[in-house]
Amino acid sequence: MSIATAPAPAIDSKFILPFMNATRDVFQKMAGVATTIGKPYLKTDASATYQVCGIIGFSGQITGSVVVSFSDAAAEKLVEAFAGVHLAVTDPDFADAVGELANMIAGSAKKNLGALANISTPSVVIGKGYTVTTTRNVPCLVIPCGSPFGEFAVEVSVKKTAAV
Amino acid sequence: MNFNAEEMIQIVATIWETAIGLQILPESPDSRGSIGNRPRSTAALIQITGAWNGAILLDCPVEVAKLAASIMFSTDVADITVADLQDAVAEMVNMVGGNFKALLPERCYLSLPAVVEGGDYSARIPGSSLLGRVHFSCQGHPMSITVLQKSADKSLAA
Repeated sequence: MSIATAPAPAIDSKFILPFMNATRDVFQKMAGVATTIGKPYLKTDASATYQVCGIIGFSGQITGSVVVSFSDAAAEKLVEAFAGVHLAVTDPDFADAVGELANMIAGSAKKNLGALANISTPSVVIGKGYTVTTTRNVPCLVIPCGSPFGEFAVEVSVKKTAAV
Repeated sequence: MNFNAEEMIQIVATIWETAIGLQILPESPDSRGSIGNRPRSTAALIQITGAWNGAILLDCPVEVAKLAASIMFSTDVADITVADLQDAVAEMVNMVGGNFKALLPERCYLSLPAVVEGGDYSARIPGSSLLGRVHFSCQGHPMSITVLQKSADKSLAA
């Protein structure tokens, strides 16, 4: 799959493919949901792509963050497929499930990034009209994803740092 | 890991004083509004991984974030953009995280900060529990810093 190009700054495509594969695998294996992965593009504003965001931080030889962003409707149905029970967006367990999905995608991708990295506990933000800024000096590539329940996105903003 | 509120307040006071030249005043928990009760606020989060796992959350009203950004970037408050204030708050929580990390066992790593800005959102950190929280005010605006510990680490706490 080709990666969208932009004049600047660059992001290493080898950091993107693991997230694309991990997203596909996690939803297929853990929720039994087939997803489609679209062509990544450079994110140009800080607005949250959708209303429900699971955020995972990377530290160590890879720093940055990954945001898994869902619309309310897609999130509810994907979480239901994952948890096996319907959870309302306002249910604390809903945020736990979103965080766990983000955690599994990041954890699965981490193994194939070719560097030692730690991933953080997930943070989950739910709301409307908010912005999420994670790493200003690292470009953010959005991987648009489709599912039978609606669209979602995986936003990858990571870079390799000096060995720790 | 035991949470020492006085130590945290001292860390915050020193950072606010040295980085942006502003003083903070410790506040009691019931003297402030919650994060969801404000028209707009910022929440800056930094995660710590390694020998200790958890997160630090800075809850900062937009007014203070703008003021901090204007001081940090030598720009008029009226000209501060959302990106500027997010940068400023990210830097503040990064400094708090760096100082807090020094109190932790070796080795721990800081993630890059994430900053949420808006008026209608909630933030949760699943799988973690509250270790401690300090409330303070800056320029009359209530703020807080919350330290969360990854739940699995609780059993390792001294």
